[in-house]
Amino acid sequence: MSTVIVVVVAVLALVGLVFSVSGAVGILRMPDVYCRIQCSSKTITMGALPALVALVVGEGFESAYAARALIVAALLLTVNPAASHALARAAYRAGVPMWDGAVRDDVKAMKAAEAEDADHRHGDRPEDRREGEHDD
Amino acid sequence: MINIDQLYFAVAIAEACVALLLLPRIARGPSVSDRIVALNTASTQAALAVLFYAAGADRAIYLDVAIWLVSFSYLGAIVWARFLERGLI
Amino acid sequence: MTEFWIIDYLVLALILGSAVLVIRIPNLPGATMALSAVGTFLSLLFVILGAPDDAHSEVVVGAIALPVLYLAAIAKVRADVLDEGELREEGEQDDEGEASDRR
Repeated sequence: MSTVIVVVVAVLALVGLVFSVSGAVGILRMPDVYCRIQCSSKTITMGALPALVALVVGEGFESAYAARALIVAALLLTVNPAASHALARAAYRAGVPMWDGAVRDDVKAMKAAEAEDADHRHGDRPEDRREGEHDD
Repeated sequence: MINIDQLYFAVAIAEACVALLLLPRIARGPSVSDRIVALNTASTQAALAVLFYAAGADRAIYLDVAIWLVSFSYLGAIVWARFLERGLI
Repeated sequence: MTEFWIIDYLVLALILGSAVLVIRIPNLPGATMALSAVGTFLSLLFVILGAPDDAHSEVVVGAIALPVLYLAAIAKVRADVLDEGELREEGEQDDEGEASDRR
């Protein structure tokens, strides 16, 4: 094992660890569940990918370690955004409050516009928020 | 010169330390969603620690646990989200 | 092989912290989630101690299946007692048992 490969593995793993630690600190320190979902989604994936590339570089591309590391990378890239999307949507529907400094809520504005439109059309009271949900 | 197995062990220890850093958020998340987020992140970090420990210990049979951890953390997140949305039954 | 002891005690600290959280969180879904964390870190400990088959079964059973069963039990009991709109997360104030000892 030459020294160059060790240095490359160390640098890539260090980059991944810096991103992972910053993501963990963000999950600890962010004021809101949606900000924490953002930290968990993007920063942790960005922290995992250089570490997996370091494993591929260190063990060689044709080893079992590299194959499993690439499978884990592909799984993370497909699965982590889907899980974050489902969690954010469930948190919004369960009524978890936003941070006080949050400036926009597009779903609430859209539902208010829809309710006003329905109220304007046939004098009905605005419907329940579970069935008036906009599906994105 | 540092051995590459010791480097792999050091990276595995550091990823487990990141998972240890996430435990206070599981302890005092104001809502369940915060705990789900912290738990998913801890599961990802545990999978990375398993990968690097397997590379350091030269045992290729440990690697499948990482794949199981990643895919089943997704399944757990979907189940928790469904529980939050409409109550799982 | 000195690194083995470091990661061994580190994962033991993780498991102990999560297991203390299971009995310290006053909120039923939160305690179930800490139980899922115990299963995840216990699978990591099984890998480190050299038993990957136990780690497989611990991931499937201890980290996913057992908390989901507890969660189904909690949801079913609450769906019988309350109506659907009360399945909230924050530590409930209209439940009788676990809301009294909230921090």
